Amino acid sequence: MNQRPLPRSRRPLSRRQLFLRAGALGAGGLSLPALLAACGGDDDGGAATTAPGTTPGTDAPPANGGGDELFFENWTAYIDPTEDGEIGTVDRFIADTGIQLRYSEAINSNNEYFARIQPVLGRGERIDPDIIAPTGWMAGRLIDLGWCDPLPLDQIPNAANLVEGLRNPTWDPTGEFSLPWQAGFAGIAYNMDITGRELTSIDDLFDPEFAGQIGINTEMRDTIGLIAMSLGIDIETLSSFDDAAPAFERLEAAKDAGQIRRFHGNDYFDDLTNGNFAACIGWSGDVAQLALDNPAVRFAFPESGGTSWADTMLMPKGAINRDAAATWMNYVYDPEQAAQITAWVGYVSPVEGVRDALVEIDPELAENPLVFPDDATVAATQSFASLSEDVEAEYDREFSRIIGA
Amino acid sequence: MTATSEPARQRVMTSRPDLFGLFALSGAGLLLAAVGARWVTGPLVPIALGLVLTAIVAVIWTAVAGSPEAKRKIAPYGLLKPGMLWLALFYLAPLITLLRLSLSTLPSRFAVDAELDWNIGNYTTAFTDFAPQFGRAFLYAGTATVFTILIGFPLAYVIAFRGGRFKTLLLGLVVIPFFTSYLIRTIAWRSLLADTGQVVQLFDTLRLSGFFETVGIMDNGRVLNTPAAVIGGLTYNFLPFMILPIYVSLEKIDPRMVDAAHDLYSTSVEAFRKIVVPLALPGVFAGTLLTFIPAAGDFVNALYLGSPNTTMIGNSIQDQFLVQNNIPLASAMSFVLMFIITVFVIIYSRFFGTEDLT
Amino acid sequence: MSSPTSTRGHIARWALNIYAGLGLLFLFVPIIWIVAFSFNQPRGNYNIVWQRFTLDNWRDPFSDQGLTQAFVRSLQIAAISTSVAVVLGSMIALALARYSFKGSGPLNFLLVLPLTTPEIVLGSSLATLFLDWDITRGFTTVVIAHIMFQVSFVALTVRARVRGFDWTLEQAAQDLGSSPFRTFWKVTFPLILPGILAAALLSFALSIDDFIITLFNAGSLSTFPIYIDGSFRVRFPPQVNVLATTILVFSVLLMSIGLLWGLRSRRRNA
Repeated sequence: MNQRPLPRSRRPLSRRQLFLRAGALGAGGLSLPALLAACGGDDDGGAATTAPGTTPGTDAPPANGGGDELFFENWTAYIDPTEDGEIGTVDRFIADTGIQLRYSEAINSNNEYFARIQPVLGRGERIDPDIIAPTGWMAGRLIDLGWCDPLPLDQIPNAANLVEGLRNPTWDPTGEFSLPWQAGFAGIAYNMDITGRELTSIDDLFDPEFAGQIGINTEMRDTIGLIAMSLGIDIETLSSFDDAAPAFERLEAAKDAGQIRRFHGNDYFDDLTNGNFAACIGWSGDVAQLALDNPAVRFAFPESGGTSWADTMLMPKGAINRDAAATWMNYVYDPEQAAQITAWVGYVSPVEGVRDALVEIDPELAENPLVFPDDATVAATQSFASLSEDVEAEYDREFSRIIGA
Repeated sequence: MTATSEPARQRVMTSRPDLFGLFALSGAGLLLAAVGARWVTGPLVPIALGLVLTAIVAVIWTAVAGSPEAKRKIAPYGLLKPGMLWLALFYLAPLITLLRLSLSTLPSRFAVDAELDWNIGNYTTAFTDFAPQFGRAFLYAGTATVFTILIGFPLAYVIAFRGGRFKTLLLGLVVIPFFTSYLIRTIAWRSLLADTGQVVQLFDTLRLSGFFETVGIMDNGRVLNTPAAVIGGLTYNFLPFMILPIYVSLEKIDPRMVDAAHDLYSTSVEAFRKIVVPLALPGVFAGTLLTFIPAAGDFVNALYLGSPNTTMIGNSIQDQFLVQNNIPLASAMSFVLMFIITVFVIIYSRFFGTEDLT
Repeated sequence: MSSPTSTRGHIARWALNIYAGLGLLFLFVPIIWIVAFSFNQPRGNYNIVWQRFTLDNWRDPFSDQGLTQAFVRSLQIAAISTSVAVVLGSMIALALARYSFKGSGPLNFLLVLPLTTPEIVLGSSLATLFLDWDITRGFTTVVIAHIMFQVSFVALTVRARVRGFDWTLEQAAQDLGSSPFRTFWKVTFPLILPGILAAALLSFALSIDDFIITLFNAGSLSTFPIYIDGSFRVRFPPQVNVLATTILVFSVLLMSIGLLWGLRSRRRNA
């Protein structure tokens, strides 16, 4: 890994221990079978990091298209690093292929990242990275805008390993523009020390007992999705603003009542571990990580179900290193390699055969329902409908008005 | 077309070099701002830039080849020119662009270039949807300014009149904290004010929590993410901008004068009120501007120390500009903020006199 | 001071001193926290709960590569922008302090304006300009932005320092046959140098510390404050405290040197 070393506490072993604990909880009869371990890829953050001496955007010279360089902008803590004597995927890839991969953890939030690349791509110019990792709905927007190049799928034979459930997703019906990176779920993250009890429902977030101690996610699809589901609304078929209006009303009422301490993106870790938050809308995998700092931090699927999402890999228009990008995607769609990533990040892998490969590395994890969700789990989750541009604008406007930023 | 070839202009340059210099400087500045803001477009751009260049060359030429009298008169304009042109291009022109964008509409949601259609809708949205944020920005900034005076004035007073030979050292101590990052200092407060942090613990130990709860500083045992935390953060971060100008004006007062005042008036309170306060007013005036203005536009404190019900207009501008990508709306909000502050500064200056912000 | 003080006056005096002392302490509370936590060994990703004392962070201040890169980039930006701003700003200050000329009022006003405009307006308006010009924001745009606010700052700081100087020295030198160039280097420059250095130090610090204006004009560039803001969402390594403390110590050293130097030259002149 040529980037900064990842946090100490992300060691595979400790993480696996966590999965054990979380798995035991799941088996121990929490209301839902599913405690899914998937990091909050949706809003996993970290500042834009770029390799030394480069200035993204302004006047970086176009790299040569010779296929020996590659630039991947991803979310934070989303790949296994080289540490404790284990060689991370980035370094293995460099050693195996000779391609100089520049791996950067530059994505903080979908909207923020979009605002950053929009003026460049919108002018028809190229951005520096060859591969970026927006969440599905944002990938859909970029594809619709024509700001992506089709993937050289003929050079990615391993793309055949893509799991059935993620083929031809709503955001990319033909499947020619994107390959999923990891998938995951959103639910309730809470601090047992503060709540004093297990939380099982979205209603708990609106319990006056926790007034001023609730965090709500700025990722509209997770927050509105979970609240709408708790109100019995089917979020997969939303087509107008009115469909989800009750969820917006509920959120606004809670905000006005001072129920919500802060709206957060992926920046809820410290508030949750330090007890400033009793509970918030989080991503299950994060919680595994946080529990290292504070074992009282838990994750639960609400009774009404969780939301699911997937982060993608796609190539922005004009990406130079197409061959190297294909080599990379082929590499990480090899089950053996994908299993290495899964073993560390604990996400739901989009690659078929990871489970078999993972048995060799970490048999317990391979049995974990959090990483390999069963049918019941899948049935209990919904993913947010893909909205038409106008409707989406209306949702976004109303949401950003409520969160009051 | 160079200035040297024109006898008429040459005469102006040598007979009234100061007028010429002023004209060349302001003309070049305005032209450059106009080009920068794209008021001047198309084939006019090279002509305008040519004029700017001519003005520069003419001033330099006068300064080098003119009579000693002309040289002296043209010199200040020559010295001002580079810096002023920079400000014209990167301060004035952006404000014009900001104004234009605030009156524009994005043809589609994800379009890059907004079209100028004199749409005042952005302004109505700014006022209707973001009125609370505007209100809080000025309320919090105003309150914080009052607190900086309450804390800063006595501190500046003690340093100026009782500092003795430690004056410089004490003044240094006031400045030192501000050589660590603003952001890190705010993060430090976030940790200190947290529910399990040192400040809340201290309040509990001193049994002050009940009192603070009553006066509204604490909310259910919390300090972080309350209005008090945001105002406290603003007060902290802008305190030196109040202390230093007050100190500067106090330092000019001769301590003997204060002594004399003590003899003259019966109480020291009266002496203070009649002598020190009037003389310190210019400092308080400058300090108020240096505190209130940046505080009103700040979003860092509200972001790190506030809650959804304490967001300030700076947060909204930042969010609309850098996250929601609604740049016309963000521009309108920016412009309104600047307009209100400018009006405030003008009114305020009428009452207290201007000059000297340093 | 010699005014007669009653017991009540005495108490009031001390009360005021203590109050001022508390004010000074208030300024230092977060600083103490920052320095102390540079010696903490955090248990998770956030160095915000005290665990135990360690020197590890100081032994390895650059272990966080992203942070280090951002820090170095901030230093580069500050070095470039300060150099330019000091030249432009000092020229303005010289013009304002040395000469009286037509139009100095409005020009003075234009100079003060950037300092009385909220940072968010400066940042967003400049960003709209770059958007309008179709310029991708990055290193260069950040440098331009920093120069913009530094020029005013330098000009006003230097002007404040050189106001009231005896400029007849210059005239005398010229009357004695010194060339303007020589006069500048031998007479004018030494006079304004301390002011320039002070302004340079302060505006360098302003540049490194600037967050709001930079955020709007950085695009995907990561400076020291931007990196801290971004990474705070997921972690807050003790190296942040180490680097912040280093900047602090370094600035204090420079300031002390400047002060001592100033004292010495004042004594020499006296």
